Amino acid sequence: MIAVLPELILSGTAVVLILVARRVRRARSAAPWVVAAAVAAAISLWAFPPASSTTAFGGTIAGDRYARFFGLLFSGNLALASLLSVRHLDSERVPPAEYFALLLLASTGMMLAVSSVDLLILYLGLELMTLCSYVLVGIARDRPAANEASIKYFLLGSFASALLLYGIALTYGVTGATDFAAIASTVSRNGVTRHPLLLAGVGLVAGGLAFKIAAVPFHAWAPDVYQGAMAPIAAFLSAGSKAAGLAALVRVCLVAFAPEQRIWSVIVVALAALSVMTGSLLAISQSRMKRMLAYSSIAHAGYALLGLVPGTPEGASATMLYAFVYAFMTLGAFGVVIALGPHGENLSGYRGLATRAPGMAAVMFLFLLSLTGIPPTAGFTAKFAVILSAVRAGYTGLAVLAVLCSVVSAFFYLRVAVLMYMTEPEEAEPARLPIPVYAALAIAAAVTIVGGIFPSTLAVWAVPP
Amino acid sequence: MTTYPILSMITFLPVLAGAAIFVCSERVARWLALAGSLATLAISAPLYSHFDKGSTGLQFVESVPWIPSWNVVYSVGIDGISLPFIFLSTVVSVLCVGASWTAVQMRVREFYASLLLAETAMIGLFAATNLFLFYVFWELMIVPMFLLIGVWGGPRRIHAAIKFLLFTLAGSVLMLVGLITLLRASGTLDFQALAATRPNAALQSWLFVAFTAAFAVKVPMFPVHTWLPDAHTEAPTAGSVILAGILLKMGGYGLLRIALPILPDAVRLFRGPMLALSAIAIVYGAYVTLAQTDVKRLIAYSSISHMGFVTLGIFTLNRNGIEGAILQMVNHGIVTGALFLCVGMIYERTHTREIAAYGGVAKLAPIYSTFLALFCLAAAGLPGLNSFVGEFLIISGAFDTRPWYGVMAVWGVALGTTYILWLYYRVALGEVKPGLRALRLDLDLREVATLAPMAALVLTIGLYPESVLGFLRTSVAQLVVASAASAAVVGGM
Repeated sequence: MIAVLPELILSGTAVVLILVARRVRRARSAAPWVVAAAVAAAISLWAFPPASSTTAFGGTIAGDRYARFFGLLFSGNLALASLLSVRHLDSERVPPAEYFALLLLASTGMMLAVSSVDLLILYLGLELMTLCSYVLVGIARDRPAANEASIKYFLLGSFASALLLYGIALTYGVTGATDFAAIASTVSRNGVTRHPLLLAGVGLVAGGLAFKIAAVPFHAWAPDVYQGAMAPIAAFLSAGSKAAGLAALVRVCLVAFAPEQRIWSVIVVALAALSVMTGSLLAISQSRMKRMLAYSSIAHAGYALLGLVPGTPEGASATMLYAFVYAFMTLGAFGVVIALGPHGENLSGYRGLATRAPGMAAVMFLFLLSLTGIPPTAGFTAKFAVILSAVRAGYTGLAVLAVLCSVVSAFFYLRVAVLMYMTEPEEAEPARLPIPVYAALAIAAAVTIVGGIFPSTLAVWAVPP
Repeated sequence: MTTYPILSMITFLPVLAGAAIFVCSERVARWLALAGSLATLAISAPLYSHFDKGSTGLQFVESVPWIPSWNVVYSVGIDGISLPFIFLSTVVSVLCVGASWTAVQMRVREFYASLLLAETAMIGLFAATNLFLFYVFWELMIVPMFLLIGVWGGPRRIHAAIKFLLFTLAGSVLMLVGLITLLRASGTLDFQALAATRPNAALQSWLFVAFTAAFAVKVPMFPVHTWLPDAHTEAPTAGSVILAGILLKMGGYGLLRIALPILPDAVRLFRGPMLALSAIAIVYGAYVTLAQTDVKRLIAYSSISHMGFVTLGIFTLNRNGIEGAILQMVNHGIVTGALFLCVGMIYERTHTREIAAYGGVAKLAPIYSTFLALFCLAAAGLPGLNSFVGEFLIISGAFDTRPWYGVMAVWGVALGTTYILWLYYRVALGEVKPGLRALRLDLDLREVATLAPMAALVLTIGLYPESVLGFLRTSVAQLVVASAASAAVVGGM
């Protein structure tokens, strides 16, 4: 039971919130409980140090260090997303209890997905996450853009889930197992590494998971969904869904499909190269902040995948570090978008921000530098780690492509800095912000700085599966 | 030897002062910046008094484990090659604070914080003894420069800032891949360890291309120099001074610190093209300078020509050439920095940089014109002033190995004398332009105090070049011997 204690805490809080939904009228009264649940989940992960052999539910759930690392990431993501939501919920007339319950359940799904060592539980966890996300994207019912985004997300997401499920079925058909370790041992024992159905299974599973991390060519949903959804949800998805997908992909590739490394390595290289190029190039022409961050998240999916290319434990831990760092810097960047309210949605709203709100501009600049990968921010150390693992595996060309794309990305990230610092303001001062938003920004900024100056503090936790 | 971590102190004191400025009022910001940069200069004094000129090793070494999983340590230390640049960084920073005292009236706190962050990056870069730390400071330098140009610059500042940013980033990301490849090949990033375990010749060539891409943009060498005129022209005075004084030197320093000792075979392989590009920069830069009508742009193009001397000296690969290159970098930092200060001071009064708007300034502002004359003569390479020594060493180094490049360099000197004296003629001599008469053109005490240290350095180095050369002689000799010996070892294999 200890292996799923954080999941129990989160889902239990969700159930309680649904039960008392009629009494919860304001987001401000529900948010503290959600944050408390996230903190409790993090503490429970911390308090019961996992052993590699801890499993539960017939060996389908592993309570290992890998799961703990991502569990902490999802707790942080949930807490920050809830803090950032407070401002939006009341103005968008979103029922707060339902909203937070869905956030909690989506986080439960993410945690289940990363601790699962069985393809079916993995599928269940990811579906729980995705189903809650469909609703969350469209939860602002009065906005047509949100409805459109939700439907697009649902249609494309169902297709991706079908891919994933089909891949699982094919894998089961060849190996007779859904357990990760059993798949790997059956494949090597029976010598079916080149079985066409298994290869198709590997490809389909990788494709289904690539959808969750918004890697090209499974990225088409991201810009519309980020654009249409409320900013806190876009932040929650860009950090959480990407981390969950990456975590699942890393574990599946390294454990279940370990004998198929040559196959998935090619797939991962292609996904990474296409993602960094497409994401960086398409972000240039965006004039809306959330859309730009969506393309940036596509590019970052590519960078994170670089760590997986060699299939080594060091590479996997580089990807883990990247997912962690990216989660906080993107949450921070979205946090500023949220803090600026309606002005934050368009790039023109950032004109002269350094004059209007110097502190806000400074943290935004920090997140932008980190997203670009300039030292001494966490974005740099994470990028260094993944490029190091790609070069170590001999993919120097891919590494050069990735760093050149990061120059391209510097153009559009720092264009925002140019607007903030080098142009005159047009609008009045932003309204005073609720304290939760400040808290969220402070946490994200702290992780971005500490991860940049003392990367070892984060890296020691990134234990590959 | 001192027992306290002097290099770390001078590296991080400026950024701490910069952070303190943020919580102070604007009135205090200038004084705090001055105090921070002066304190840094004062603390660095033992570096010169306790420096052992005969030692070939690193001095004032500090080493702390930093990121064990990548075998990265925080390690700083200096030798004779890095010491002059640390001196230059600390001095130039103080003068930049002084030069911006009245010129910067907008967002004063952010300005001085950026300036001090830049000082940290400069000192850290020159003190770093491993490639990771070098890279971190190299990239860190981009951020304050981007802000200095883009926020406090001239009318086309945004264009210049973005151009600067994209050029330098494009170069430095290739260095990142080179760094990682080197880490993979050698398992370490420490400069001395890397120089002892060099990669094979084929890999060296690739690494040389990657690293030189970064260094050539910063120097800037001939085909990638186009960002410099824009950045120099649009930057505020302090930004131009830091660009000319320090930032350009980072590229030359990188060549000396990384390319020559770690990639000697590739250096020999690419020597011809590098010498040719240097000669083109000298001559082409000088001709373009002649055609300029904007004072700052003129000095910017003259920087390209002068930095061509630096790369020419480095790639002569002999002692005279390399000593001359280092001295030329220091001299160029002083002279060009001082010229930018002069331009900034008169621009504050006239608000024009067009040469045609000036004339007869010597009659209106005798003190100013005296300083300007001194720095112009120094830039022209007058014997007895500092630039002469460096250029002479470089040219003699070039004549020792490739005489034709020496001839090109002499041609560049002749052109340099022409454009700089013509500039002085047009600005200071001749008829007094009508618009200038109403202005109070001459310098006040603060401005004299800003220029006087530069003038003192010009004369000191010019009359007694040993004051700089003495520090770097042993290290340069060791560098030349090490890079020559390696080629023999590899050649014998």
